[in-house]
Amino acid sequence: MIELCQVTKKYGQTQALQDLSFTASRGQIVGLLGQNGAGKTTALNILTGYMPPTSGKVLVDGMDMLEKPRPCKQLIGYLPEKPPLYDEMTVDGYLRFVCGLKGVRRADTAAHLDELIALCGLKEVRQRVIGHLSKGYRQRVGIAQALCGNPPVIVLDEPTVGLDPRQVVEIRELIRTLGEKHAVIFSSHLLPEIQQLCHRVVLLHQGKVIRQCSLEEMTGERETVHLRAVIALPAGKLLPALRSLPCVRRVKTMGALKDGATDVLLECDASGGKAPQQELFRLLCGLDAPLLSLQSRQDSLEAAFLRATAEDAVSDN
Amino acid sequence: MFSIWKRELQSYFYTPVGYAFMGVYLTLASVMFYLQILQQRSSDYLTFLGQMGYLWMLLCPILTMRLLAEEKQKRTDQLLLTSPVSLTGVVLGKYFAAVAVMLLTTLLTMLFVGVIALYGAVYPGEMLVGYLGFILQGCAFIALDLCVSGYAGNQVTAVVLAFGVNFALWMLDILATAVQLPWLSGVMSFLSLYTRQEPFLMGQLSFASIGFDVTFVIACLLLTIHALDARRYRGG
Repeated sequence: MIELCQVTKKYGQTQALQDLSFTASRGQIVGLLGQNGAGKTTALNILTGYMPPTSGKVLVDGMDMLEKPRPCKQLIGYLPEKPPLYDEMTVDGYLRFVCGLKGVRRADTAAHLDELIALCGLKEVRQRVIGHLSKGYRQRVGIAQALCGNPPVIVLDEPTVGLDPRQVVEIRELIRTLGEKHAVIFSSHLLPEIQQLCHRVVLLHQGKVIRQCSLEEMTGERETVHLRAVIALPAGKLLPALRSLPCVRRVKTMGALKDGATDVLLECDASGGKAPQQELFRLLCGLDAPLLSLQSRQDSLEAAFLRATAEDAVSDN
Repeated sequence: MFSIWKRELQSYFYTPVGYAFMGVYLTLASVMFYLQILQQRSSDYLTFLGQMGYLWMLLCPILTMRLLAEEKQKRTDQLLLTSPVSLTGVVLGKYFAAVAVMLLTTLLTMLFVGVIALYGAVYPGEMLVGYLGFILQGCAFIALDLCVSGYAGNQVTAVVLAFGVNFALWMLDILATAVQLPWLSGVMSFLSLYTRQEPFLMGQLSFASIGFDVTFVIACLLLTIHALDARRYRGG
């Protein structure tokens, strides 16, 4: 549905984006992940035709954004970082204006407005002036604006920033619903958000794509599982037994506890469907050593992100 | 374009800007009307129209300052520029909204004509030509100040720059008479919006002046479109 081909953007001498390419199709949520200043907003501004790229192109439904801006823009709804609201207008008046801009037919406007207002939960503020609304409502009006005209591509720039936790949950739910029928592209620096919502992740760092893959690929590469266990057995007896397990690669004692228990960290091989937890359990049963606590740490997107940015920092040096 | 025009026009009257512009304009015009016409017992309305023209110079920046500079400041331009509307549509919508407020104000000044008609003679042809020039002058100032608003980064800069440019045009007129070089003074009075006004004030329908004003408006609007386009390439 929408495709970025080798998009590069320079502001004077500053390189904001370099060779960014990705695609998003209907029914897919793509997350743009990066630290502040990584180029997420620039990427979205180019994607939506707000600014042209220095080189490369944006294709929407096979049309070039620079050659056919109007039909391309017709297919995109955009919520920028700061919702583009006119404070002096009422919610209803504003959305009516946006319907006009997006070319919604006059006869359909009233029904479409009702739909948008219900979807974004704006019923009780419909006649209020936008300048008097709270941040959460302003954000929702911004989202309603992006959905105006029912565009197949929806682009949201950090849609949950500055909202209270309940609103964040609501907006994420809305994004998930939208992702069923539309192509949704959204940026965030919040990893759990991306992890919860996206089908694909594009990791941006200093204007470059450092990683691009599906979410399963990113978090699913779990060849290694870290287990932290507290076992009621002194270290002297426990460690040799643990080392004898075939799946255990490394054992580290985190400390001996008062009542003869030991706190250990195990790095286990989980490839090929092995289940280190089960092996550990059987071993301990044989030793008659009660397991006092067990935590497994999965390799999260956060770890993948930190590793990727760290690797990049190393290769820079 | 129509949506933008309608929104801008509504916005003039949702905010105090429209009322301030019309209120100040009509108050000042009424005082001038009293001093020039009523107190002098004169029915020379065309000279009075010429003087009201100076009010465009003073007040048009108020009308145009927010049109483009505010959009940039509040980042609402992101909505307009990512919507299926051309830059020309955006600029024309805004321009005609300001022109509509100006025309509404002009319509109200026609009450003065009514007052004169009560006590003296009004020549409709002369009046029409006078008003045509008056309106064209207003259109030209709005286009010029809109262009300034397009280049300015925020509203304060926009309004100060617009005053500056308007005064520079007025000064151009005065300087033209003082400059010794005939070619330079010729160029200066050619560019002056006030010199262009003179035939209308004498009751002449001057096509040269109409042509100049229309060209002036189109040139300013093209420059405004260019300003917005250049801003997109610069990246905000």
